[in-house]
Amino acid sequence: MAQSRAVTGLHDVELAALAAAGDRAAFGELVRRHGSAVRGLLRRMGAQPSTADDIAQDAFLTAFERIAEFRGEGTFAAWVKRIAARLYVRKWRKDSRMTDEVEQDDEGHGGEVSTVSRIDLDEAMKSLSEQERLCVSLCYGAGLSHAEAAETIGAPLGTVKSHVKRGLDKLRLRLAPAEGAGRDAERQGHV
Amino acid sequence: MRKGKVMSDLEFETRLDRLFAEPPHFKDAELFARQVEARLERGWSLRRVMIGGAGLVAGLVGVGQMMGAGLFLQAAGSEVTAQTQAMSKAFGEVMNVGGALGALPVSPEVLWMTAALGVMAVGFAITRATQEF
Repeated sequence: MAQSRAVTGLHDVELAALAAAGDRAAFGELVRRHGSAVRGLLRRMGAQPSTADDIAQDAFLTAFERIAEFRGEGTFAAWVKRIAARLYVRKWRKDSRMTDEVEQDDEGHGGEVSTVSRIDLDEAMKSLSEQERLCVSLCYGAGLSHAEAAETIGAPLGTVKSHVKRGLDKLRLRLAPAEGAGRDAERQGHV
Repeated sequence: MRKGKVMSDLEFETRLDRLFAEPPHFKDAELFARQVEARLERGWSLRRVMIGGAGLVAGLVGVGQMMGAGLFLQAAGSEVTAQTQAMSKAFGEVMNVGGALGALPVSPEVLWMTAALGVMAVGFAITRATQEF
């Protein structure tokens, strides 16, 4: 009990150092702090909830195995997110292959935008194609560069950039529809 | 106009970064943490068993080798009991491979130490494989 109280006041880097020395309670505290972030990222990447949780667990176990590699240069959360994202991509690549073809699910979502003033990121991510979700999540959720994302996915850099751009365009529409609608109305009023 | 568009892009990307950085709230967050801790504990328990097993085997091999080499007999000098002799004989039979290994141009001690290290290495490899898969 006293030990759990002691670890809650420590910084992530200190907890990681303790975990590297074999302190599993310290690592448990890191899991408590960042578990939701990792699970959330995997779901945003397109993983089903149960799959996301399984991969998140695997990611934390992998992180514990490799904790000595974490030197506190970035945040612990970002480091684990990268591990989790790469684990998910590995699974995703087994299930499907990324192609350069234009996604078929581009249609069918556009009509919803004008009626919704603001929807959250999780809902907005659902409007992206599988590849777009993956690329946007890797770059903005896991903090990978376009080149790193391309290497992780095993796709050409141009393809990743293209997916990210299309994904951002869709997110922009869905995350701030009221703003866009307001501008449109303003423009029409002035004409 | 273009500058305004670029600023808008930057603002949007900053906002997106912020949104991604906000962790969602899960009601079962504590349960998730406990599951991870349980898996960690299970892994460590298995590792302890494997290392313990490897150590036990290595210890047995070491004792057998020492008795087979007659180190105990030398230490005891001429006061060797019949019991020690019997134990030595028993270990010698169990470690029957010693005869064949004796033909090699290295001492039996080296051979047995190598075998012990090999067993430990296999133990570590199995433990590692268990962790990975």
